[in-house]
Amino acid sequence: MAELTYRDAVAAGIAQEMRRDDRVVFLGEDVAAAGGVFKATVGLLDEFGPVRVRDTPISEQAILGAAMGAAMTGLRPIAEIMFSDFLAVCWDLVANEIAKSRYMTNGQLECPLVIRTANGGGSRFGAQHSQSVENWAMAVPGIKVVAPSTAADVKGLLAAAVRDPDPVLFFEHKSLYATKGEVPDDDHVDELGKAKVLRRGDDVTIVALAAMVPRSVAAAEILASEHGISATVIDVRSLVPLDTRTILTEVVKTGRLVTVEENPRLCGWGAEIASIVADECFYDLDGPVVRITTPHIPLPSADHLEDLAMPSVTRIVETVRTRMD
Amino acid sequence: MAIEKKKAASASASTLANDDLGEDTRLALFRSQTEIRQVEQKAYDLFLQNLIKGTSHLALGHEAVAAGFGVAMRSDDYSFCTYRGHHHTLARGASMTGVLGELMGRDCGLLRGKGGSMHLTSAEHGVMGSYAIIGAHLPIAAGAAWSAQYRGTEQVSVCFFGDGTTNIGAFHEALNMAAVWKLPVVFVCENNLYMEYTPIKDVTAVENPAGDRAGSYGLEKIVIDGNDADEVYRTAQVALTKARAGDGPSLIECLTYRHSGHSRADPGAYRPEGELEEWLKRDPVPTYRVRLLEFGVAEDALAAIEAETKDAVEAAVKTAVASPPPGEELLYADVWADGGASWRN
Amino acid sequence: MDIVMPQLGETVAEGTLTVWHKKPGERIESGDVLFEVETDKVDTEVPAPAPGVLSEILVEEGETVVVGTKIGILQADGEDAPAPAAEAVVETPARAPEKAENSPAMAGKADAAAPPLSPVVRKLLAEHGLKPSDVTGSGLGGRIKKQDIEAHIAAHIAVMGDAYSVDGEPPAADRVIVPFTKIRKRTADHMVASKATSPHVLQAVEVDFHRIAAVRAAKGADWKAREGFSLTFLPFIAHAACRAIQEFPHVNASVDGDALVVWRDIGLGIAVDLGPDGLVAPVIRRAAGRSVADLARAINDLSSRARNNALTADDVSGGTYTLSNSGSFGTLITAPIINQPQVAILSTDGIFKKPVVVESDAGDSIVIRPIGVLAQSFDHRAIDGAYSARFLKRVKQLIETDDWSGALA
Repeated sequence: MAELTYRDAVAAGIAQEMRRDDRVVFLGEDVAAAGGVFKATVGLLDEFGPVRVRDTPISEQAILGAAMGAAMTGLRPIAEIMFSDFLAVCWDLVANEIAKSRYMTNGQLECPLVIRTANGGGSRFGAQHSQSVENWAMAVPGIKVVAPSTAADVKGLLAAAVRDPDPVLFFEHKSLYATKGEVPDDDHVDELGKAKVLRRGDDVTIVALAAMVPRSVAAAEILASEHGISATVIDVRSLVPLDTRTILTEVVKTGRLVTVEENPRLCGWGAEIASIVADECFYDLDGPVVRITTPHIPLPSADHLEDLAMPSVTRIVETVRTRMD
Repeated sequence: MAIEKKKAASASASTLANDDLGEDTRLALFRSQTEIRQVEQKAYDLFLQNLIKGTSHLALGHEAVAAGFGVAMRSDDYSFCTYRGHHHTLARGASMTGVLGELMGRDCGLLRGKGGSMHLTSAEHGVMGSYAIIGAHLPIAAGAAWSAQYRGTEQVSVCFFGDGTTNIGAFHEALNMAAVWKLPVVFVCENNLYMEYTPIKDVTAVENPAGDRAGSYGLEKIVIDGNDADEVYRTAQVALTKARAGDGPSLIECLTYRHSGHSRADPGAYRPEGELEEWLKRDPVPTYRVRLLEFGVAEDALAAIEAETKDAVEAAVKTAVASPPPGEELLYADVWADGGASWRN
Repeated sequence: MDIVMPQLGETVAEGTLTVWHKKPGERIESGDVLFEVETDKVDTEVPAPAPGVLSEILVEEGETVVVGTKIGILQADGEDAPAPAAEAVVETPARAPEKAENSPAMAGKADAAAPPLSPVVRKLLAEHGLKPSDVTGSGLGGRIKKQDIEAHIAAHIAVMGDAYSVDGEPPAADRVIVPFTKIRKRTADHMVASKATSPHVLQAVEVDFHRIAAVRAAKGADWKAREGFSLTFLPFIAHAACRAIQEFPHVNASVDGDALVVWRDIGLGIAVDLGPDGLVAPVIRRAAGRSVADLARAINDLSSRARNNALTADDVSGGTYTLSNSGSFGTLITAPIINQPQVAILSTDGIFKKPVVVESDAGDSIVIRPIGVLAQSFDHRAIDGAYSARFLKRVKQLIETDDWSGALA
């Protein structure tokens, strides 16, 4: 075990996989010589050399095309799209090509690749560099979608993503890069499609993702100590495949579901979970399903405004408290 | 319409003997073009009989490009083409039954009806997909080339696309990356003068949409007669050799013409009067036949190839028509590597 | 207009706002319950002062504030609207009228104003053969929550034979799970806190009740006919205790840091057992100097109202000493837990005929007398064993030697 930052866990995960398998290659903008604009890939060029770790031009479509072509022909590429907002620039590759080629070709073509990207707000980067777009990816059949909230999960889930024979969109959260956590030293592989129950309570089940997870845990503590409301908190971790079994089990116990989502309101990932719960847990619900999300607006840049927009610990506490009845 | 010829590698075809190519190669080129021609004509007939649904983009007139490269490539090379890709798929050796079956949405189709005309793929023949989003496959082809370079196999990735593609962003990204990384990829532009319904010259800032852009990537301007299978073959050889030697990509513009509309729905009424007739005079398949006779290949040999092809096409149609539609279980098959489509537990 | 924490009893200085019945932005009509206040275990519903819209909540549920504190702002009809303050982004709009319209369709009741039954509540009602009216709702506006049904079931469990399972899983064969009700939980917390606060010491005396028994025998029937309720030993014991307290005032006190606050008057708490609804100890105020008859009437009034959930805030505040009566159960002795912030509590248990030795000039003889144990738990911070013992001895003496025959005049 070692205490690593979330960003160091990225490099550790990539390195672990590149050591294990010669077919793993890594490309992206400023990822090699500079170690990444978020310093999440420091040391990889030194260890693996410029053939396996490549700096690309600013060409998102070429980056993902290169990854797809390589994945189709025997390699296991990891491609970086620097900010998840830029996925819009190469969305054709993600949604039309990578997601669909196995299905359309009756299994003849495969895309065992990982696209890792820095997602989410809280860094005052403005509307085009702060979006949470994991819900865009969730909406396209054929891509697996992962968003870890801790350093250990970064390493473990990245390893699982690389080893997965399907394409995986790996959403790191840029405002979590500096957070620290205990990370296993040696071969650490987690499992896609497994949510984690972080705490258990009796009154309400709170389901959160990525940067909303620590806020939900903090809110749960305040709800317990100051308002006598005990909450279960679940870190979803994987949107596709989705661990519905864990979520439904915990919602049945408390009778209430609250989701905490960073994406803007409409069609956020929580809407799907709310819909599944309303369908499959209807007769176990003791109150309406509540979604706590960023409002349906672009994210403003000024720090005070951005903090108002994203679900805060206070807003989570207040919403749960007032909707508990 | 002026046609530029590249000086060194090709000259007036009719004066060359079977010296640099050899009769076997030429017969292979003839057979390939004949097969493509007959299958595409059959596809057109099947439209009219409503046995082919949806949309289809025929390559009648493009046979020489497909055959020239198809014969020149190694069997383990990769090829990528567009939704107008029946000819490239057949030229790499995929079965007629598979192609026609896919067009008809039958279980015997190359993709068992999952992909359709625009996505023909035969991985065992190196046909790594036909792509319906303009330009998407250029970066993907570059990626396959990167993989070959990384693995050191001397495989080459050949990427076919139309003139319209040269104006889309992915073209630029792929060419640039391929040139910078010296990838073993050959980009082949089939310039048939029309980007869908619009003359390419009306929407392109340069005269040769691919050729005049090559210099932007430090590449040589190569524009050839795409209706001359021999010229295509020779040009292909040079580019493939260069790529295998590690000397990087090539961009080749093949001037050609399509005999039918852009797609099934298009009768091609936007073409100026007389243009089609002019090009039909240079129809690659009959002109190549004439050339072979001039080289002294026996008429019987050519007729035999045509007859065999005809029989093969008939047999393929019969098999395909008799093939059932794909089973319902295919609906959920192969979203994921485990063969299924499940996104939850 | 300001909404303030009301004073719900003469001696009540603060209140805990337990439930807001409305949200900011909601329309309020006169008479609508606006919020609930809890003081010493009594919940009081407070109506809106005027029709209008609740514009702001300043004190949150669960907060305790001094009487008179501004807890909210009501935008009353006809008032000028105040300048809007910068508000935080509110994600969900205030509950719009269409939600109220949905409620009657969802509720299983004909009464459109009743709060709706949630899906799990409807399921549990059906599963257990209950009607909504069988279950008391602890939610907003009396809404029945899942926990209310679970509590109801737990309180009515048949322990022998079939085990009830409340959480849907087959119960382990060796046990029955009985979830705590809210009252039980509160009681539990209070008891733990009391024991943690006061070092309890138990002292007891055996008391001969024959004189009081004689009065009861002679006058009990008349009393019952006149007053409508039975005359028990308790008011007599209460009377004796109050007189003894005047001689030993330190048992009628509270500990405040390093000092003993000795109350001048007696607020005599009478513990009432409400069964599954727990214990409550309503208070007879100014108990010192009251007659037995007065005490008897007061005890009866308070315990009836306690059982009917009709106690007011004043009824349960101001206690300085408590009597706990287990007599009807026939127990020998009980070590009661002090009712904080008091320093002592007296338990009366069963009174049984027993042979006792009576001394006289003619010598010792054995007679049959009604004997019962009076046991006091006291807080050893406040008083010592000797003091408590002298108090108990005085209570015993009063009971055994007073002429109680004129007590009911």
